[in-house]
Amino acid sequence: MSPTTLPASLTRTSLRRLAHSRPTTCLLRTAAHRSITTSTTTPTRPSPTLQQPLRRATRQHQTRPLHYPAHPSSPSDAPFSPPELALLRAAYAHVPQHGFSAESLALGARDIGLLDISTNLLPNGDFDLIRYHLFTQREALVEKSRGLQGSVRDRVFELTWLRLLGNREVVGRWQEALAIMAQPSYVPASLSALHELVDDIWYLAGDVSVDPSWYTKRASLSAIYVSAELFMTDDRSAGFEETKAFLRRRFDEVGELSSVLGAVREWVSFSGSSAINVLRSKGVPTENISSLSEKREVDGLG
Amino acid sequence: MASRSPALRRALQTASRTQSCRSFTSTSATLTQPADYPTRHQPPTRDPSRPTHFGFETVTESEKQQRVASVFTSVAESYDRMNDLMSFGWHRVWKDHFVRTLNPGFSPLSSSPSGPQHILDIAGGTGDIAFRMLHQAHVLNHNPDVRVTVSDINPSMLAVGKQRSQELPATQQAALSWLEANAEDLNSVRPLHSDPNGPTSSIPDASVDLYTVAFGIRNFSNIPAALREAHRVLKPGGIFACLEFSKADNYPLFNAVYKRWSFSAIPMIGQLVAGDRDSYQYLVESIERFPSQEDFRDMIVDAGFVVGGRGYENLTGGVAAIHRGMKPRN
Repeated sequence: MSPTTLPASLTRTSLRRLAHSRPTTCLLRTAAHRSITTSTTTPTRPSPTLQQPLRRATRQHQTRPLHYPAHPSSPSDAPFSPPELALLRAAYAHVPQHGFSAESLALGARDIGLLDISTNLLPNGDFDLIRYHLFTQREALVEKSRGLQGSVRDRVFELTWLRLLGNREVVGRWQEALAIMAQPSYVPASLSALHELVDDIWYLAGDVSVDPSWYTKRASLSAIYVSAELFMTDDRSAGFEETKAFLRRRFDEVGELSSVLGAVREWVSFSGSSAINVLRSKGVPTENISSLSEKREVDGLG
Repeated sequence: MASRSPALRRALQTASRTQSCRSFTSTSATLTQPADYPTRHQPPTRDPSRPTHFGFETVTESEKQQRVASVFTSVAESYDRMNDLMSFGWHRVWKDHFVRTLNPGFSPLSSSPSGPQHILDIAGGTGDIAFRMLHQAHVLNHNPDVRVTVSDINPSMLAVGKQRSQELPATQQAALSWLEANAEDLNSVRPLHSDPNGPTSSIPDASVDLYTVAFGIRNFSNIPAALREAHRVLKPGGIFACLEFSKADNYPLFNAVYKRWSFSAIPMIGQLVAGDRDSYQYLVESIERFPSQEDFRDMIVDAGFVVGGRGYENLTGGVAAIHRGMKPRN
């Protein structure tokens, strides 16, 4: 679904609303996602031209970076309360040296005049520190997404790369963090954080499609992101050039994969219609089947 | 148990005459009546003649204090054995988890120690929580600079705890102190076994790092008053932590089994093992009357604490829950 085929009345925001009105999407959403920022909702001005939607969406981020119009944010949605944020912010400064650990949390608590025991304010301790990192880096992507050029695909690549660079400061500690995230009780929260990230990347890159590729896009980007993140923890090259090359190769592979899938679909459709023709030649009534088959071909063309 | 005084026996009998014949009937209508705690914005006051509840009965606050005292005097010696039988030993897992997550005595290795840590364990008579705290702090965190004050309204429970503490290493015994106190008024406390008519002392404002109460707060006559006292004695940044039975309403089937177990089996076990059905009947009724996780969280917030996340952690599907709050800096 390319933007040029859309009627002018379908603004980017209304498309987004459409995309997220599907129940699955809403279920996957969490409060953290909705509250990516805390400003109040402003009504969307309809855009006169079609070339503007992305730029307008970007401009919208300046005043209301929350990009989830169907669910306006409210203070109760915020992933952390103000006292928690103060503690996490102070503790995060110690992460490069002491990791995502009780040590960093206690040092942060002391920095803001609290006690060693005060870290008990956080329900999950070190995992909350990891969640804070994930949340702030994801939030930062909104800012970084401005002024990105190229196709949707290029922008997705660029945003994924920018997000990976967000781990730069803590990369020496990131393997520990992944180990904590893999603890059974934290796996659901970690997976939903990953989903929120790739969902944001596709959205910020300007992808608003609502076809079944919604799922495959997110699944493939999740797989790419996770493997690249792991690769990066062991990358000693300057400026993480090797990670970038790795990421590029993974993106190319997905491109090949989707063309393979396209070829498979073509083959199935050809074989199917051949089979119907064979049946027809044997005198089997095939009106219903062939009408379905033709319909599918028309869909395929669209 | 056999040497229970006639006066005490009489008190217990009157305390629970009406309860003993009551049994499990249904899980919804009769058992979920709203508790008559003071409403949220009403300032909690201390008035001994104010009505509160004792199990499913309504009594005055002073009467509840006496009755709770008699219940725990009568169960003190068999308390741990009974807990094991009733919860299949699971209460030990809850208590271990409670203490391990609080992690008392933890101090950053890369920085200088921050001075002594003072833990006040309210309603901790038999020392269950206090001994675990000392183990975590002294042995696991290698921090001997942690002391625990065990406080209970009931000298019988404290006596059991003090007796058990004789088996601890000397350094841990030295870090313990035993206090007879009403959690709703920590301004008049006295050491265990001191003269009942002698002078009382006070726990000063902002003197405690960690205030814990495990399976005790539901027995308090006036919970908001106790929370305010907790807020008063805690240092800024200090933590209030409560382990208490709660509601397992999220899992209806499990909840039905659990209710049936608690209302039919627990009083019976009490009768067989401790020879005291009434005290255990009170126990299950008081659990039923305790507010839900969210309501209790709101009470903690109303007392001036801040909470993280949703403010509580469910254990075993909500049979028990841990609530934690921090006293903010200003």
